Amino acid sequence: MADEVIDASASLATARPQSQKRTAAIVPERSVAGRTLVLLIAIMTFLSGVTLGGVVLVQKSAIAWSSDVGREVTIQIRPVEGEVMDSNIRTAIAVAEAIPGVASAHALSLADSEKLLEPWLGAGLDLSQLEIPRLIVVELGDPKAVDLNLLSRDLQAIKGASLETHAAWRQQLNTMAGTLVLSGVLVLALIVLATILAVVFATRGTMATNREIVDVLHFIGASNHFIAGEFQGRFLSLGFRGGVIGGLGAILFFLAVASATGSIVPDQAAAQLGFLFGRFSLGIDGIAGIAAVVPVIAALTAITSRLTVRRFLSQTS
Amino acid sequence: MIEFTNVGLRYGHGPEILRDLTFRIEPGSFHFLTGPSGSGKTSLLRLLLLSLKPSRGTVKLFGRDVMSLDQDALLDMRRHIGIVFQEFRLLDHLTTFENVALPLRVLGQPESVYRENVTELLEWVGLGERMEALPPLLSGGEKQRAAIARAVIGRPDILLADEPTGNVDPDLSLRLVRLFAELNKLGTTIILATHELPLLDAFDFPHMALKDGQVIVNG
Repeated sequence: MADEVIDASASLATARPQSQKRTAAIVPERSVAGRTLVLLIAIMTFLSGVTLGGVVLVQKSAIAWSSDVGREVTIQIRPVEGEVMDSNIRTAIAVAEAIPGVASAHALSLADSEKLLEPWLGAGLDLSQLEIPRLIVVELGDPKAVDLNLLSRDLQAIKGASLETHAAWRQQLNTMAGTLVLSGVLVLALIVLATILAVVFATRGTMATNREIVDVLHFIGASNHFIAGEFQGRFLSLGFRGGVIGGLGAILFFLAVASATGSIVPDQAAAQLGFLFGRFSLGIDGIAGIAAVVPVIAALTAITSRLTVRRFLSQTS
Repeated sequence: MIEFTNVGLRYGHGPEILRDLTFRIEPGSFHFLTGPSGSGKTSLLRLLLLSLKPSRGTVKLFGRDVMSLDQDALLDMRRHIGIVFQEFRLLDHLTTFENVALPLRVLGQPESVYRENVTELLEWVGLGERMEALPPLLSGGEKQRAAIARAVIGRPDILLADEPTGNVDPDLSLRLVRLFAELNKLGTTIILATHELPLLDAFDFPHMALKDGQVIVNG
């Protein structure tokens, strides 16, 4: 049958280049709206990564805040007529240090109090002319072991003394952090849902444009399982590529923000930001969390496409 | 091997395209399927390929009623049937070799297992030098030979051909039918749909003529 003259040069021109001589994928790469889908998945992964990173930052900061604030209580001594302030301060310190679990207690000096009031009352204030409450900072060695009720009761013996445990502040803080974390999880869920919908539409589009391939595969005896596997493989590859791009983008974003807060914001402001929000440093666990988003998104893409293809095939078979 | 009894076929609620088809085809035979355009040749081939189910009647292939088969059994039976189309239906992004190897690839066979067989078959159909060529740049005759090779690489018991010579010149048509005849000598049952009279006259094979939805077997 080889009686048709085949021009050697034509043969070379129509052959696949040597560099591409591997078994080609049955679902052609270009037929899947590849670049658009990779970009879409990259954006979704970036958003997921940034959201996850934000949640990690908030949670870490909340834990740090809570932990710092929880290691300290404050005793306030108000001026009371007929009482000697310094004596009351000494008594309060002694009472506090007698409580098991308390590491130390010290009174803020007048100079320290001036510094605290400076933002409101201005600099150069002579507090000796004013009767202001004095503060005693009580450091807790083991917050769980300290009986704050006992301390509060003991302080009742000192006129004008009261205990501030920051419990309300901590509760508010935890509520706020919890709300932010919950919002982040909700945003993540919405991103995942949007990704699934995008992959479903992309898969349906791909199936429609590759209908000829699906028909031929059916005619030559391919099972739906095999066909779905071919499409799943293609989408897994796209999902992984998009995921890596988006994940790297999210990690770089956090590194850039951490670097920017260190270099652009003045040291003092940076210190305050650091106190409030941590140091914009995700840490290894945060980066690992973002990196874990990549295979999750890739797997999600592959599974979604497989289910969509199986559904498409069962409807058309 | 193939047994139709009072088979009718309609699409949806439309009129019957095929009516009361009753015939039997023995293993190893060669039949031309003839009839004017729109007579139902392609529909009959699709019934034989199991991509359509009859609206009524009984279709038995390899001794089994196809209506009683589940999806897996249908798939298994379809793997014993090869098909060649008029428009070739090769996958343009795969080389000639990859197109021909496709039925083995979908069975999960590794290339190391089938490479020699596919190469041999391509040489037999005269495409040994065109194995790495992509279909868009093959001639009509080369495409059809590649399509035939793809249809027979899985050693099917039945080979269906739907106007396989429709897109090639008369000389090449004769050579292609000779190729089918060679395959038939090797034991493959062949049903070749065509409406080209010169081909029917050139070969002494029985005809199945479709007219008004019914079939008449001659010869």
